Amino acid sequence: MWRSYAFRVTVQGLLTLWAVTTFTFVMIRKMPGNPVEVVIDQLIDRQQLSYEEARQQAAGLFDFDPGQPLIEQYADYMNKLLHGDMGKSISSAGTPVANQIKRYLPWTLFSVGSGLIISFTLGVLLGMAMAYWRGSVFDNVLTAAASLMYGIPDFIIALLLLLVAGVQLKLFSMEDVLGGVGQDVHAGLNLPYLKSVVQHAALPVITYVWGTVGGWILTMKSSTISTLGEDYIMVAKARGLPERRILTAYVGRNAMLPLVTRLAISIGFVVGGSVIIEFIFQYPGLGRQLAMAIGTRDYTTMQGIFLVIASAVVFSNILADLLFGMLDPRVRVGGEE
Amino acid sequence: MKRYLHLLLVAALAFAVLGMMAPARTTTAQEAPSGVFSGAFDYLLPPEHHLNSFARGGLGTNLSSTYRSFVELPHAFYMWASNEYVPLLGESWGFADDGSYYWTKVNPDAKWSDGSPVTADDVVGTYTIGRILGWSQFKYIDKVEKEDDYTVRYYFIDQPSLVAERLILKEYIVNAANYADLIAKAQELIDSGATPDDDAWSALADEIREYRPEQLIASGPYVYSLDDVGDAYMTLHWQPNSLFSDSVNFGEIRIWKGETEATTPLVLSGEVAHATHVFPPATQEAFQDAGIRLITIPRGYGPALLFQHDHYPWNIKEVRQATALVIDRAENAFLTNGMGATPTVYMSGLADISVPTWLPQDVIDQLDRYEFNTERAEELMRSAGFERNDDGIWADADGNTVSAEYKFPAEFNDFAAASLNAADQMNEFGFDITTRGVPWQQCAEDIRNGDFELSIWSWASGSPFPARQFWNPLQRHNYVGLAEGQKGINFPMQFEWNGEEVDLDAMITATGAGLDIEAQKEMAGKVALIINDMMPFVPLNYLVSVEPFNEKLVAGAPADDDPILKNPSGSDHFIIYDLLTGVLRPAE
Repeated sequence: MWRSYAFRVTVQGLLTLWAVTTFTFVMIRKMPGNPVEVVIDQLIDRQQLSYEEARQQAAGLFDFDPGQPLIEQYADYMNKLLHGDMGKSISSAGTPVANQIKRYLPWTLFSVGSGLIISFTLGVLLGMAMAYWRGSVFDNVLTAAASLMYGIPDFIIALLLLLVAGVQLKLFSMEDVLGGVGQDVHAGLNLPYLKSVVQHAALPVITYVWGTVGGWILTMKSSTISTLGEDYIMVAKARGLPERRILTAYVGRNAMLPLVTRLAISIGFVVGGSVIIEFIFQYPGLGRQLAMAIGTRDYTTMQGIFLVIASAVVFSNILADLLFGMLDPRVRVGGEE
Repeated sequence: MKRYLHLLLVAALAFAVLGMMAPARTTTAQEAPSGVFSGAFDYLLPPEHHLNSFARGGLGTNLSSTYRSFVELPHAFYMWASNEYVPLLGESWGFADDGSYYWTKVNPDAKWSDGSPVTADDVVGTYTIGRILGWSQFKYIDKVEKEDDYTVRYYFIDQPSLVAERLILKEYIVNAANYADLIAKAQELIDSGATPDDDAWSALADEIREYRPEQLIASGPYVYSLDDVGDAYMTLHWQPNSLFSDSVNFGEIRIWKGETEATTPLVLSGEVAHATHVFPPATQEAFQDAGIRLITIPRGYGPALLFQHDHYPWNIKEVRQATALVIDRAENAFLTNGMGATPTVYMSGLADISVPTWLPQDVIDQLDRYEFNTERAEELMRSAGFERNDDGIWADADGNTVSAEYKFPAEFNDFAAASLNAADQMNEFGFDITTRGVPWQQCAEDIRNGDFELSIWSWASGSPFPARQFWNPLQRHNYVGLAEGQKGINFPMQFEWNGEEVDLDAMITATGAGLDIEAQKEMAGKVALIINDMMPFVPLNYLVSVEPFNEKLVAGAPADDDPILKNPSGSDHFIIYDLLTGVLRPAE
């Protein structure tokens, strides 16, 4: 039974990936402009070349023919992909897309992943506490704070952190917070490197947590309030079960169900990074790389990153299905009794 | 369970606190001279960042034209105020007496960072690879030959040209030894009679692009390796062998990574001494409040209102002239980017700073400056058969109103603001203009395809020559300069003007042909008068680069009236020359 479910899910996942890959392949190429045209415009503007000169020069910079029929490009791409080759970057000829992903993905996983874990944990704990003591000063203050935090865009927080805490209050030097790691430390499993990595991730993580924790708090609070009104909670109380057991085994577990799906989707999107935050803090993540690839119409890099994001979302959704079944015994995998 | 959650919470807080409390890192001093010059540019990170000067992702991509000369010198630097080249890598240069070739001589004292001399072989090698990659110089020259150890000849295909001279003198010369195999292959291929259509040619071009030199060998006073490229900044280190190693006053050039949003806090915090980014007016004010000087230099271009001439009534000269009259360009410039734009004065198709140099005084006197005047615009509209209808909108005798969609690139703040203001002013006069912001790539494509009624893109250019300034947008965005099937603004370039048949395309090209400056000026005067009268586009304003320069960090910045500030941003930026020649120095 489990095997057939796993097989079904795997096939579904692969089909989804193929569909997403094909869809993004076509959509990317339907975007206005192509890598060569973008560079032609840049050469004309920056070097005052004529269109013909710029076209000639741009053609010399790319191993890419925008005139090649779409179906041929697609066949080439899929053929390479099936052989485990994501191709080479168009805008940086000779640079394998796999190397780009290897370079940037860990930073995004670390920063956005840490941010998500912290944000989710804080949100669940505070949301539950607020629901439990609903109507209290604690609840009212935190509800207002959560709404406020959720309502402020993350890039405003990022800029405020840099301009107020960094520039005006001089709480830190820019050199210590911009980028993924300090320039003078040697990469490896040594304390200075790890400290530098954590130090440089601090502001992106704080910004991410600030921008998302409000949503988790409010969702958890409303879910917990709804769970607290359920009959089985009353029954549990009537049976004289300890408060702690009711809170963890009855309330917490059931209230978290709606958050699990959301968490799974969020985990999927962790690999996409947080584009604006990465831009502002010069954090070398995949989100920033994707935005740059879109700007330069680097088709192969975009496709590679979209494939990784799609794979993560598909995988995390499968994980969510499995987790849901574990958390709620009423849910049977595949709808079977 | 609860205990674990507590632990997680504590760990999260500790993570944040650890990050905030880490001590500041100090910059270690490099070799003499001391001092760090800090600029900013959005360079790439490895693996996209590499040291191949000929490929995207190499020096041209990562150092921009502002910083590249510090590593790889071109032959010369151009001074706009005096219209002359001053030497960098080159010692002398000129046209052959019979005009058949151009020659350059490398300074015999020039050395690479590895101590070897810079020679004619490096120049020829650079162009050998450039030929395979289709460099624009080969539109003018067909052969590059070594004359002696330091002198190189560039043979013209047709007639000599000042535009070709600039392309030659501004090209960055690359160390041939670092590309020896590729140069040998390229020379062999060229000698075999192969053409760019051959597969072998494309294969070699691919090989050149994918080549990754292990080290950079520099002719400029600074050098770097990929280890010097960090997430937040990259560092160029002083090296002792360059022609300019003794004159520069900085041991390091630190280039902070980022666009405007990342550079702003760096300038305010005093990390960055100078930046070339486009800062909004509010940020410029904040810089001034922080005691940071703002230096203004031309950008070389500005936003122009483009008419698509297939669309009625924009194909009527009087309507275009009226449009120019009803847009208050001072207001438009201010709203475009505060101090960062100045209203166009001469309306000649030539940047105002180039007008006194290239246009004869009698031509300047004849130019209509299209000062804001709605009454004169009304007269023009009536003379073309238009009247205001009951709604106050201008309409022709058949009731067709002057209506259009004005398409603009939504991401370009300055062009977007210029468009919205121009449309507002046109509507105030009684036109019916609706605006639509689109992605810039879409806007560029639509302009090239002629798929617009009104739009905006640049006019003029960062070249000192009239041929290159008139070219934008009359040739650049018109059927004569675009790919086959694209019509752009579709302004007819052959027409009768003042009782004379003119070919504006040929006339613009003639302003850059040959070496007779006086003849070029005369032709530029004629072209300016035609553009001024026909008003095929409205040059709304001219952009100015407002660049923060922190004099607490770097001394020696030119005074506001220093002629070098007539140089526009880009490859003639004053920073290049003033840093190399030691005018800029660390502040005391």
